[in-house]
Amino acid sequence: MPANSLAKQNLGTHFAFPRGSVAASPGVRIHDMGTGLKKRTTTTRIRHFVGPIFQLGILLFSCTLLLASAVAIPHGTAELLTERTSIQPGHHFYIGLNFRLEPGWHIYWINPGDAGESPRVTWQLPAGVHAGTIEWPMPKRLPAFTLMDFGYEDQVLLLVPMKASPKLDAGSSLSLSAGIKLAVCRDVCVTGRAQASLSLPVRKETPPPDEAASGLFRAARRALPQPMPPSWKFKVVSRKDSFQLAGSVGHSVQQAFFFPLLANQIENAAPQTLRPVKSGFELTLKKSDQFLKPIDRLQGALLLGEKAYSLNIPVH
Amino acid sequence: MKRLSFYFCMVLLMVLFVVPQLLEAARVGETAPDFVALGSDGKTYRLADLKGKFVVLEWHNQGCPYTRKHYEGGNMQGLQKEWTGRGVAWFTVISSAPGTQGYVTASEENAYLGRMHAVPTAVLLDPSGQLGHVYNAKTTPHMFIINPQGALIYDGAIDNRPTSDVSDINGATNYVSLALEQAMSGKPVATAATRPYGCSVKYAN
Repeated sequence: MPANSLAKQNLGTHFAFPRGSVAASPGVRIHDMGTGLKKRTTTTRIRHFVGPIFQLGILLFSCTLLLASAVAIPHGTAELLTERTSIQPGHHFYIGLNFRLEPGWHIYWINPGDAGESPRVTWQLPAGVHAGTIEWPMPKRLPAFTLMDFGYEDQVLLLVPMKASPKLDAGSSLSLSAGIKLAVCRDVCVTGRAQASLSLPVRKETPPPDEAASGLFRAARRALPQPMPPSWKFKVVSRKDSFQLAGSVGHSVQQAFFFPLLANQIENAAPQTLRPVKSGFELTLKKSDQFLKPIDRLQGALLLGEKAYSLNIPVH
Repeated sequence: MKRLSFYFCMVLLMVLFVVPQLLEAARVGETAPDFVALGSDGKTYRLADLKGKFVVLEWHNQGCPYTRKHYEGGNMQGLQKEWTGRGVAWFTVISSAPGTQGYVTASEENAYLGRMHAVPTAVLLDPSGQLGHVYNAKTTPHMFIINPQGALIYDGAIDNRPTSDVSDINGATNYVSLALEQAMSGKPVATAATRPYGCSVKYAN
């Protein structure tokens, strides 16, 4: 998918509204009222005069929309948010992909589970700015019929680390743009694409946080799976039809759920049987029906009570 | 006597309905579960009658964007034409429950086949979801291949590009064609299971 056709698609939605308002504006109504030849000539003159002004208006309006950057996706909006108000040459910074969804609709985690598709992002970035991989907040379990999907409802901010080259010119302004392809689902799925953009100035000084977005960034970071405390011990053993995951975490665990990072490891919808023990837990994960080759490592996010941790351990 | 026939009936019901449910879902390398299903052409199809043939099962929902990807560009119809031409029995299976996306009556489905120039051997109507559950069909599309001996030899996606973009079909590795080519030339199927992609199958809750 070339970048320019994504942009075209997106511009289409931007222009849709201003065009609509022109159709309802007084200038055009004069034209509509014209019946005789003479009157029509008059209206044509007026249109010659009014037309460029309206066109300029449309252009300006579109420009402000591009800066505002919230764009339509099926059953919601997507927007690029910045954590800080400017880019500092030679430093890392974070951009967030903020999705807002109508009630009942969801988008997907890095592993969508049994159905659906994760959002995919193609960046169009100026020279000297590089995007890292998306950091995904913990998803919800989304049971669908006899299946299990992993995703987000209402709102989610996907975090994207960025790196700015030390060679960037302070005083310039940079435009960051993301082509997004995604599936938005409820009981049915609608696929769509959008182009979200954001302009940021380059400044030498340490940039202050963007107050409007800082709450969303804080919440997204809190929802990322955390590294395990070094004192915790985990072991996973491969049985005929299941993986036995045992964790020693210093206290008895009453609630646990494992979200697999990769497909074809476990049966997503199968119950995960928890056996609390004195200093941890044992969790039984049913192997996937599509599971054919043994896996070296079990990778994913482990939810213990309210807290989520990254798990990546060798399989015995 | 009445009591005895009651028990007999209960045992029979158990054998007929409960036992198949307890069996493991279809697994690659094992015997594919038998089924009897009604086609949109009004005929009844039974897997056991198809011994000696390769059988493809294609889970389908005409409203799903991932299914549409493969029908609007003619990809699925091309596969159906090619493989039925080479002796494969190709069944499109619809497990959408009544009232859900993709549910169709037999005549609606036959009209769709004509409109789309789709040429499967038959379309199996599975509104109860029974066939879907036995095979653990998860998405539309979700593809299965059964060999002439009745063993399941492929379970998974149609290809290696899990998107709804028609433009992704060109250049994708089609796992179904690959598996059929390998199996027909007596080779083992190299990629025998993958994660199926698409919309969830719209089973009755």
